Amino acid sequence: MRYADFVSFTYASLRAHRLRTVLTSLGIAVGIAAVILLTSIGEGLHQFVIAEFTQFGTNIIGVSPGRIQTHGASLGAVNTVRPLTVDDALALRRAPYVQLTDPVVQGNAEIVYSGKSRRVTLYGVGPDFARALKMRVASGEFLPQDDPRSARAFVVLGSKVARELFGSVNPLSSRIRASGERYRVIGVMQAKGQVLGFDLDDTVYIPVGRALEMFNRDSLMEIHVIYEPTAPLAEVEQGIKRILIARHGAEDFTVTPQQKMLEVFGTVLDAITFAVAAIGGISLVVGGVGILTILTIAVAERTSEIGLLRAIGATRQRILLLFLGEAALLAAIGGVAGLLLGWGIALALRVALPALPVHTPWSYAVLAELVALAVGLAAGVLPARRAARLDPLEALRSE
Amino acid sequence: MRVADLLNFAWQVLRGSRSRTLLILLAMGIGVAAVVMVTALGEGARLYVANQFGSLGTNLIIVLPGRSETAGAMPGILVGKTARDLTLDDALALKRSHAIRRFAPLIIGAGDVKAGARSRETPVLGSTAELMDIRHMEMARGRFLPEGDPRHSQPVCVIGAKVANELFGPRPALGEWVRVGDRRFRVIGIMAAQGESIGFNTDEIVIVPLAAAQALFNTESLFRVLVEAKSRERIAEAKADVEEIIRLRHEGERDVTVITQDAVLATFDRILRALTLAVAGIAAISLAVAGILIMNVMLIAVTQRRREIGLLKALGATGQQIRLAFFTEAMLLALSGAAAGLAVGELGRSIIAQVYPAIPFQAPWWALVAAPATAVITAVLFTVAPARRAAMLDPVQALSRR
Repeated sequence: MRYADFVSFTYASLRAHRLRTVLTSLGIAVGIAAVILLTSIGEGLHQFVIAEFTQFGTNIIGVSPGRIQTHGASLGAVNTVRPLTVDDALALRRAPYVQLTDPVVQGNAEIVYSGKSRRVTLYGVGPDFARALKMRVASGEFLPQDDPRSARAFVVLGSKVARELFGSVNPLSSRIRASGERYRVIGVMQAKGQVLGFDLDDTVYIPVGRALEMFNRDSLMEIHVIYEPTAPLAEVEQGIKRILIARHGAEDFTVTPQQKMLEVFGTVLDAITFAVAAIGGISLVVGGVGILTILTIAVAERTSEIGLLRAIGATRQRILLLFLGEAALLAAIGGVAGLLLGWGIALALRVALPALPVHTPWSYAVLAELVALAVGLAAGVLPARRAARLDPLEALRSE
Repeated sequence: MRVADLLNFAWQVLRGSRSRTLLILLAMGIGVAAVVMVTALGEGARLYVANQFGSLGTNLIIVLPGRSETAGAMPGILVGKTARDLTLDDALALKRSHAIRRFAPLIIGAGDVKAGARSRETPVLGSTAELMDIRHMEMARGRFLPEGDPRHSQPVCVIGAKVANELFGPRPALGEWVRVGDRRFRVIGIMAAQGESIGFNTDEIVIVPLAAAQALFNTESLFRVLVEAKSRERIAEAKADVEEIIRLRHEGERDVTVITQDAVLATFDRILRALTLAVAGIAAISLAVAGILIMNVMLIAVTQRRREIGLLKALGATGQQIRLAFFTEAMLLALSGAAAGLAVGELGRSIIAQVYPAIPFQAPWWALVAAPATAVITAVLFTVAPARRAAMLDPVQALSRR
C-alpha cells in the first residue's frame, strides 16, 4: 500500500460516518480545550505574579532580622533580641557589587490635615527607597539625602492619601500631622495600584530614623540591598553576610534574594497549574475511552472488509497500522478543534474579564496536540490488534 | 409496555453488546470517580483548616494594633508598628466587659535560647497564665506560667517539646536554667508535643512571662491580645465592648483592629469551598465527554437496530415507547456507571486517607448527590437526539431496507 493510498483509505472510512467522526473528535476536543484553557489561566497567573514582583526590579536582596521564618516572613520583623539597625544598612553599602541600601520600617499611623484624618500604612525609609524600588514621584521630590539618623521632618504621600486628604488642592509644602508629629509634604508618589492585595497608594513615607522614634523601636524590619544587575548573586550574598556577621558576631539575620523568591513562587504556581491541568486531563482520558469504544464497534462492523483486505494480500501489520492511523487521525482532528476552542475561549475571557490574566504559550499548544495523538494511539491499540488478528476466512464468511 | 418489560428490554440490549456497555460504564465511572475524589480532597482541606482554627481556641477574638482604611487581602497578617501602642493596661481594661471570660496579651519575637553550650534561635512568646486555657495547650511535664500580676515577672519559662529535646537531650529539663537574650529563666514546664498548627509550631517555642518579654524586646507594645468571649452568642457583644473600651482609652481614636475567629474561619471556608466547587466543575467536564460518547454509541445503535425498531413499530409500539426504551437504556448505563464511579472514588479516597491520616478526607454530601445526578442528566440529554431519530423511523422503510 502506498502512503497516499493509506491516507485516502483512512480518510474515506472517517468520511463514511461523518457524524460518528465528529462526535468522537468532539470528546477529545472538549478534553484538550479544558486543558488548554486551564493551563492558559495558570500561565497567565504565573506571568502576572512575576510581573507584580519584578516591577520593583529583580536585583533586590532583602535582609531581615532573625533567622526563623513563619508564613514566609521573618518573625524578627516583629520583635527581636538582635536588632538590625540603620547603621547596619549604612555598613552594607560597602559590600561588593552593592549599589544602594535602603532601611525600611513599616507601621500604621493616623495622618491629619486640616480636620481630615486617615489611617494609612506608614513607611520609614531611606532617601534611596524610590530609586531602589523603581517608584516614581508624580510631583515634588522624594526624601532628600539627609543623614538617616537625624533627618528633617519631611513626608512623601502616596497618591491615594494625597487625593483623600487634599482633594484638588496642591499638597506640596503644606504641613500634616502623622501620629501627632508635624511633617512638611515635599512630594506625592505616582499611583502604583494594588500589589498582591496590598494598596501601595494608601501609604506615606517618612525618614527611617523618625519612624523608628515614632514606633519606639531599635530594629528595622528589612534592609533592601540593590546590587549591580550583572553581579554574581552568590558573591553579593556572601559579601552581605560577611559584613553583618562581623558587626553582629553571629548570623542572626536572613538574606532573601528576590530571585530566589520568584523561583519559589514559580515552582508553586507551576505545580498548581499542573495539578489543575491533570484534573482537566481526566476528560481527555474519557475521550480516549470514546475512541476505543467507537473503534471497537467499527472493527465489528467492518469485519468483512478486513477479511477482503487480508485475502487480497494485506499483512496483519498493515491492518494494524490502518486502524491505528484512524484512531490517531480522530484524535488529531479533535486536538486541533480543541486547541481552537480553548484558545477562542481564552481570547474571549481576556476580552470579557481583563482582570483575569490569560496567556496561551505555544509550547503548550504543541504539547496538547501531541498528548491528543498519544491518547488516540493508546486507545487505538486494542481494536487495531483485534482487527489484525482476524482470520481472513472467518472474516469473509461473517457477512 | 410495562416498566418491567422496558427494563428487561434495555437489559437485553446492554447485555447483547457487552464490551460496548463496559466501555461506556468505564467512561462514566472515570468521570464520577474523579468528581468524588477531587471534592473529597477539597472538603478534606476545608475540614482540616476548620479543625486547626478550632484548636486555636473557642469563641476567640483577636485584637491587634493598627488599622487601615483599605484592608489588605487577609485580616490577621498585618505586621507593623503603631505610634500609640496597644499596651498591657489596654488589655487589663478589657476586664470591665461582662461578655469576656478571659484574655491573654501576647508579645512575640525572635530570640536565641542557650542552655550550657547549646544554643538555638526560636520564637519567644510573652504572655500570661490565661494563655494555656485560651489556646487549649497541654503540658507534658511541670506547670504553665504562674498566675499573678502580669506587670511583674518571675524568671521562669515554659519550653516546647522540641526545644527541650534539642537543648537538653535526654537529660531532664525541668528546673534547669536557660538564657534567652540577656536574661536567665528557670524551666518550669515542658509543653506536650502538638505539632504544627496554622504554620506555627508550638513544639518550637519558648514562653516567658509578659513583663519579661517586654524587657527582653525593649517594647511596651503588644503584638496581639487574645480574648475569649463567655459564649458563642456573646462574641458580637464582646467585640463591641473591646472596640469601645480601647477607643475610650485611646482618646476616642479607633486605632486597633478587632477580628473574630469566626470571621477568619468564614473567609477561609468561603475560599476553600469556591476552590472545591471550581475543581469539581473541571472534573465534571469529563462527564460531558462521557455524555458525548453515549450519544455517539446510541446513534450507531439506532442505525444497527433499524429492523428491530421497525418491527416494534409494526407491532404497534408508538414513537413515545421507542423513545422511552432508549432513555431507559441511557439511564441504566448512567446509573451503573455512577455506582461504579462512586465505588472507585470511595476506594481512592480511603487509600489517600490511609496515606495522610491527619487530614479528614471526605466527599461532601452534595458531591455524592451531584456527581451521579450530573451523570444521569447528561446521559438523558445526549440521548435525546438518537431517541428522536429512532422514534421517527418509518416502520415500512426500516423493515424493507436491509
